[in-house]
Amino acid sequence: MQVFNNIKYVWKKYNFLLRQLVSRDFKVKYKRSVLGVLWSLLYPLLTMAVMAIVFTNVFKFTTPGVNYLSYLMSGLVIFNYFSEASNLAMSSVVANFSLINKVYMPKYIFPLSKCVFVGINFLLSQIPLYVILIATGTGINWYHIFLPYAYLCLFLFTLGFGLILSTVSVFLRDMFYIYGVVISLWTYMTPIMYDIAIIDKPALLLVFKCNPLYWIIYFARRIMLYNTIPEINSWIYCMVFGLGTLLIGIFVFKKNQDKFIYYV
Amino acid sequence: MDNTPNMIEVENVSMRFNLGIEKGFSLKQWFVDVGKGKKHEKKDFWALTDVSFNVKKGEVIGFLGSNGAGKSTLLKVVAGVMKPTKGEVKAYGNICPMIELGAGFDPQLTARENIYLNGSIMGYSKELIDAKFQEIVDFSELHDFLEVPVQNFSSGMTARLAFSVATIVDPEILIVDEILSVGDIAFQAKSEAKMLSMIGGGTTVLFVSHSIEQIKKMCDTVVWIEHGVVQKIGGKEVCEEYKKYLGL
Repeated sequence: MQVFNNIKYVWKKYNFLLRQLVSRDFKVKYKRSVLGVLWSLLYPLLTMAVMAIVFTNVFKFTTPGVNYLSYLMSGLVIFNYFSEASNLAMSSVVANFSLINKVYMPKYIFPLSKCVFVGINFLLSQIPLYVILIATGTGINWYHIFLPYAYLCLFLFTLGFGLILSTVSVFLRDMFYIYGVVISLWTYMTPIMYDIAIIDKPALLLVFKCNPLYWIIYFARRIMLYNTIPEINSWIYCMVFGLGTLLIGIFVFKKNQDKFIYYV
Repeated sequence: MDNTPNMIEVENVSMRFNLGIEKGFSLKQWFVDVGKGKKHEKKDFWALTDVSFNVKKGEVIGFLGSNGAGKSTLLKVVAGVMKPTKGEVKAYGNICPMIELGAGFDPQLTARENIYLNGSIMGYSKELIDAKFQEIVDFSELHDFLEVPVQNFSSGMTARLAFSVATIVDPEILIVDEILSVGDIAFQAKSEAKMLSMIGGGTTVLFVSHSIEQIKKMCDTVVWIEHGVVQKIGGKEVCEEYKKYLGL
């Protein structure tokens, strides 16, 4: 109950600041670009097109039974959210140090605002995703109402991970470079452009299945591409990974946040 | 003694900075150190040592001391920006820290957008900013530049805007690091008058200044800090002792 009241108080006090920070990011991102917010729709489509050309023509990837473009797009939209939001969240604390050093405000608001900001972009990128789903004949079904569950887990996981990254990067600036490499490894370790069925070593498969993003993408694809309700274990894995990572993130961040000012 | 409630209680506050880590950890340096068999040196610097004082409601308390004496650190600790290494700070009221203005400006946003952004960073509500918007614009006299990105402002214009946003509230506790007089001569007079009226308006004020005369004129209590240690707390007579210390 105490926790709940705390959250309510913090929300009341800081939701305006959060909205201001998010809207600042939006304004700055699209200022002076001709297409503006349209880029949020175009960008995922264009990346998908590039990847589709490369992987179907050069590497001859196929996904039996489902349309490759839909397969690619469903994974890409989710992974892009994670990669962009975690990256921005990582640098958010260091980037706002001039503020942290002068005005009191809860420091987690910076990673949080980045995850929300990219989250709005993510919601916009659902439009090109559904365009692809419909245009390629994959279609839509009623199970889509369960998708927000996967997206919630994605948000929790990303926020938790972002909190950890932003903490580590305060103490170790090398993290910005390290994470760039980690993300590119992660991109290939997540079945976005290929089917996990091509992994035939059981040990490697186990590694793949320890990836939270695998489960979130799997959950979404069961619904979007295979027209089925995801199995109960994927519901559980998504939430355990999401909530678990967030709790760890909060713990790590809270434990270290008072030391930030000495390091930046 | 009188029964006016305490607004701020500072109890045995010490603040340590580690000069070694402030330079930042570098892997290269670490290897070099390890190679030479050198231990990572830790240079502790106590910016504040065992500082205690109480501030009563409506009291104006001034801080004297040389540069680097720990005054600004103390204000930041009271404002909640830094957590003290030891000791405790309790504040019973909303704090308006006028320590460095305009820190929350985003140069790419317009003046109008920045008023809201900076206001929200200072902890104001949307309703308050909406209600005071005209007042902010009037005070800053930047009517014609509302839709201009702040990066195109001169430093004086930015300072005007920052000052106008920061001073719209009537805080219970006002923390002031130097009386700010910003902008051109006309605006300097205006901003100083505004600051003085805020300080004189019955709020509790923590006030750092290098002008002994200003402190003497305005403060009920004077705290003299040197090397992070409180040398003296008392009435205006502390000013004289400080002057003597300086050899004035």
